[in-house]
Amino acid sequence: MKWVSLMSGELGTLIQLLLRSLETGSVYALAALGIIIVFRTSLITHFAQGSMGMFNTFLVTTLVVSFAVPLWAAMLCGAVSAVICGFLVDFFIIRRAKRVTPVGRQIITLGLIMIFLGLAPMVFGVDPLLLPRFITGGDFRIPGLGASISHNAVLNISIGLVLMGTLFYILQKTKLGLAVRVTASNEPTARLMGVPTRTVTLLAWAVAGVLGMLSGVMIAPATTVTVTLMNIVQVNALFACVLGGFQTFYGPVIAAYIIGIGNNLLVYYVSSVWGGQIMYLLILIFLIFRPNGLVGKKYVKKV
Amino acid sequence: MIAKIYKNPYIRFILFGVLAAMVPTLADWGVIRFGTITTLTQVIYFGIAALGLNLLLGYSGSISLGTAGFMGLGAYIAAYVLSDLNMSFLLGILIAILVPTAIGILVGLVSLRISGLYLAIATLCVSEILLESFRQATDITGGMSGKRTSFPSIFGYTFDRASTFIFLVAVLVLVMILTYNLVNSHLGRAFNAMRGSEVAAQAMGVNLLKYRLIAFALATAYAGLAGALCAYYIRAVSPTQWSLNLSLLCLAAVVIGGFRSIYGTVLGAFVVWAVPDLFLKRLPIIGDNPAIPFIFNGVLIIVVIMFYPHGLVHITHDARKLLNKLKKRGKGDADA
Repeated sequence: MKWVSLMSGELGTLIQLLLRSLETGSVYALAALGIIIVFRTSLITHFAQGSMGMFNTFLVTTLVVSFAVPLWAAMLCGAVSAVICGFLVDFFIIRRAKRVTPVGRQIITLGLIMIFLGLAPMVFGVDPLLLPRFITGGDFRIPGLGASISHNAVLNISIGLVLMGTLFYILQKTKLGLAVRVTASNEPTARLMGVPTRTVTLLAWAVAGVLGMLSGVMIAPATTVTVTLMNIVQVNALFACVLGGFQTFYGPVIAAYIIGIGNNLLVYYVSSVWGGQIMYLLILIFLIFRPNGLVGKKYVKKV
Repeated sequence: MIAKIYKNPYIRFILFGVLAAMVPTLADWGVIRFGTITTLTQVIYFGIAALGLNLLLGYSGSISLGTAGFMGLGAYIAAYVLSDLNMSFLLGILIAILVPTAIGILVGLVSLRISGLYLAIATLCVSEILLESFRQATDITGGMSGKRTSFPSIFGYTFDRASTFIFLVAVLVLVMILTYNLVNSHLGRAFNAMRGSEVAAQAMGVNLLKYRLIAFALATAYAGLAGALCAYYIRAVSPTQWSLNLSLLCLAAVVIGGFRSIYGTVLGAFVVWAVPDLFLKRLPIIGDNPAIPFIFNGVLIIVVIMFYPHGLVHITHDARKLLNKLKKRGKGDADA
């Protein structure tokens, strides 16, 4: 009898861990999806995804804390600001950087990081802020196992899943999605075929901005809102992109959940100190055996 | 004769070093402020790391986002050898170069399998592993509170701020000469061939494995050296400073200064680390706001990349061309 309760305790912990991981996984997945959408449409690794998300999360938090705006309305404002940021970046910088060397183009997003890192404390002040959860308190309990998950986590997971489901539906089933996929596979040809690639890229940056903002708002209640808020998310989202492969939209999303789950399991069961590093090491070793990621296709190099 | 001496690249490097070594004296005379020395020191050690990255990226054509992690490793090792083991700082620098180099060679092996963006993020992965270890291995690194060390000493002489600066300048000049010799030897030619086309290079007898490993070993050795110098000048190492942003800044220095250019890389480092501190902070009104230099640096990076994609080092060349053009036009007007 004791053995059974012990087993159920272990199982409970495991399920608890998995549920928690799903929440972090959603955050990474949203950020990774933003990076991959930008990469596929404008061939730029969006290193500033995290910083832009951080900036807009600061906006949401300031609205909630200082102006007592309800959280949903603040998030709406945050989304609008994220869209505007995305539009501005694409319109004034990315569009005009077609002739820049491939490495140079990645550095442009570095310039963006610095701009947003400078803007955030200037506009919102240097004090760390606290963003409340959507739903404060309240747990779902799984009977008999002792595992529980907060209502807010469930909401976060569902927002992530619903949003990604919608995006994938748009990508696969609608005309707009077709335009995005065509631009992603070959931009010059798509333009010749009459696809408004500029509008597609503009939209991609806006969507990436909103995704970054959402992942920021989701991760914020677990910590304080400072300029370094998104550092871990950004790094893990990039890892998700290589683990899943840059060639598909869904690969990085799957990889983001894998990283979220793997990280938590390793930290709990293997070592609380070295778990994170072991996860990164495993990603590296995986990359050696599959250089193009989980679902990446191999392009044959021609001489 | 003088023109011939001036044209000699080695003499130019040494001249550059002598000029740079005069900075503390200038500060003593009150021509420049003492804070400027610290800023310029940053340019030196980050410039060394950026030179390593330029060897890797500009010459051999592989990208790395792990510079910061290797610098951090070098810094911690240097601090550990000097403060905890109480050994000579030269030994500290040596170990701080060797250990990152060994890891760099491993990364070089990985680079044979993966390339491009995947490689960049794989190196970032290595850097993050190191960074996380700095936070967790509290016995050696002091954890989140960081590690303190002291100015190095040799033969009973303890360096102070000014002499450390001169020492750093000497190291920078040595590294520049070393880099110059490397890229003008068969190694540089092999790198160039490899960057152009790996297949063609292999066909011409360039051993890809060997030169890939050398490229990564050099880049990480430079980064380790830079980290050690940084530790000895700042006399403190904290885990927060070796983040992805620092790697990106090194990359920015290379891109802004110009690929495959030694002076260009140092110039790029100057633009990235010194211009905001030295010039933008002095501007009226906007200089008072601590965030403004940060934003300006970001804007500057974007503007340089968009409008000067070959790097700032070409600016003298372009300026001379413009001058000649103006001269010719002036003559033309006079003739007319």
